[in-house]
Amino acid sequence: MSANSMSDPRRPNKVLRYKPPPSECNPALDDPTPDYMNLLGMIFSMCGLMLKLKWCAWVAVYCSFISFANSRSSEDTKQMMSSFMLSISAVVMSYLQNPQPMTPPW
Amino acid sequence: MKGFHAFCVVLLIFGSVSEAKFDDFEDEEDIVEYDDNDFAEFEDVAEDSATESPQRVITTEDDEDETTVELEGQDESQEGDFEDADTQEGDTESEPYDDEEFEGYEDKPDTSSSKSKDPITIVDVPAHLQNSWESYYLEILMVTGLLAYIMNYIIGKNKNSRLAQAWFNTHRELLESNFTLVGDDGTNKEATSTGKLNQENEHIYNLWCSGRVCCEGMLIQLRFLKRQDLLNVLARMMRPVSDQVQIKVTMNDEDMDTYVFAVGTRKALVRLQKEMQDLSEFCSDKPKSGAKYGLPDSLAILSEMGEVTDGMMDTKMLHFLTHYADKIESIHFSDQFSGPKILQEEGQPLKLPDTKRTLLFTFNVPGSGNTYPKDMEALLPLMNMVIYSIDKAKKFRLNREGKQKADKNRARVEENFLKLTHVQRQEAAQSRREEKKRAEKERIMNEEDPEKQRRLEEAALRREQKKLEKKQMKMKQIKVKAM
Repeated sequence: MSANSMSDPRRPNKVLRYKPPPSECNPALDDPTPDYMNLLGMIFSMCGLMLKLKWCAWVAVYCSFISFANSRSSEDTKQMMSSFMLSISAVVMSYLQNPQPMTPPW
Repeated sequence: MKGFHAFCVVLLIFGSVSEAKFDDFEDEEDIVEYDDNDFAEFEDVAEDSATESPQRVITTEDDEDETTVELEGQDESQEGDFEDADTQEGDTESEPYDDEEFEGYEDKPDTSSSKSKDPITIVDVPAHLQNSWESYYLEILMVTGLLAYIMNYIIGKNKNSRLAQAWFNTHRELLESNFTLVGDDGTNKEATSTGKLNQENEHIYNLWCSGRVCCEGMLIQLRFLKRQDLLNVLARMMRPVSDQVQIKVTMNDEDMDTYVFAVGTRKALVRLQKEMQDLSEFCSDKPKSGAKYGLPDSLAILSEMGEVTDGMMDTKMLHFLTHYADKIESIHFSDQFSGPKILQEEGQPLKLPDTKRTLLFTFNVPGSGNTYPKDMEALLPLMNMVIYSIDKAKKFRLNREGKQKADKNRARVEENFLKLTHVQRQEAAQSRREEKKRAEKERIMNEEDPEKQRRLEEAALRREQKKLEKKQMKMKQIKVKAM
């Protein structure tokens, strides 16, 4: 059978449904960026809160944004939102405790 | 009464005069006039008031406005404070008291003022009291950066979406003429074409097509660049990368013969050979140049055997490969495809991985990152090549010799695999046995009661004796059978 204009190569009786590839190994293989960024964001926001470092809190906000941009659609949005909220709260708390403008860490 | 009246009048006059004197004094009239004995009392008062009244805080900042604060005591060592007092005491000029006169007045330190012996220290007003936005420049920078990131996210997302849609619009007709089911996300109850791409990510789009002769289905994955991530965009400025289209066709078992074959850029083939299970096992030679067949230098070939290459490189295929060489990253046909090599974990026996007959294509979108929707039309001939390859794979059959060679290869690979795992399995069993023995010995040693110890030891000895006997029996049986 050849796919020329005469014969139709389509076979409706041979339709197979789409099966998403097994996600056991794939997420790790594909791209670890969103997970790393999520973790980094949480670490930085905890540092910012505990050590009262404003720049840590700002970096945490950036990390959570990057994690969100790189995230897969199958990933849990709750995780993203929680990391984002944590970083925002770190920034807000740092400024409430010490309203002075940020000094560069160098 | 009269005396009382007189007293009141005197008091009144007294009061008004003193007030007037006070005012005059504040206007900085000469103090010399008040050296009169009658007003000696006021002199002391005057001296005190001289220091008390015009206590002003002249802040050491850029603000034009002066904040006047009346302070009690002289604990606050403000710069302008004592200078004012000093000037008032020692100044013989008769100028009216002017607020602005003392701005920037730093020439007469006169620390010999008796009021305070502390050195005058200039205190910087803390930044958060300055009320100027300029001091928050870092914060403004951060927020600007965030806004830029968000803007880039939106722009990048939209661009990727437009590119995906453009690709789909260009290829829709061809796909619909070849496949019954175009577009499926696996969630619907019935197998109806959704007619659109699955968005897996902001930069990855999937499309599943099925319902054709020869193949089970075709999964197309549009792997765009991460335009929505600003960091990625900046990284790409250093190192240009292309968008890619990856196509994976799963063939029916009866519609493809047994061979492993790959053609593509040299770099891609070297990488695939290292990564892919089947290419590393069946195509052990280095990628060969395709110049013999008229392929451009940029492309190389990896093949299980020469016959496969000869069979694959027919005129039409060569035409496709030469004309679109710049867009081809790799083409991989295999009946033993099982994905990339899985890293073996220690001590875990492997099962032979499941294989599927697959055709894999990876194409680079022209533009090297700066892609426009109209560039997607350039990929249409490549899709034609895919369709042609599917039919070709069905038609191409190895001759007898080739089939024999292929079967031998596969048997060899399987044997090697079993050997490897056999050794591993044996090792695992051995280690488990040793651990058991060790654990038992420890238990015996830890047993405090000597009686129990002896009993356990005896039990262990008996078990070992039994095992030995069993082995001996087996050996005898094997010998008898051999005979």
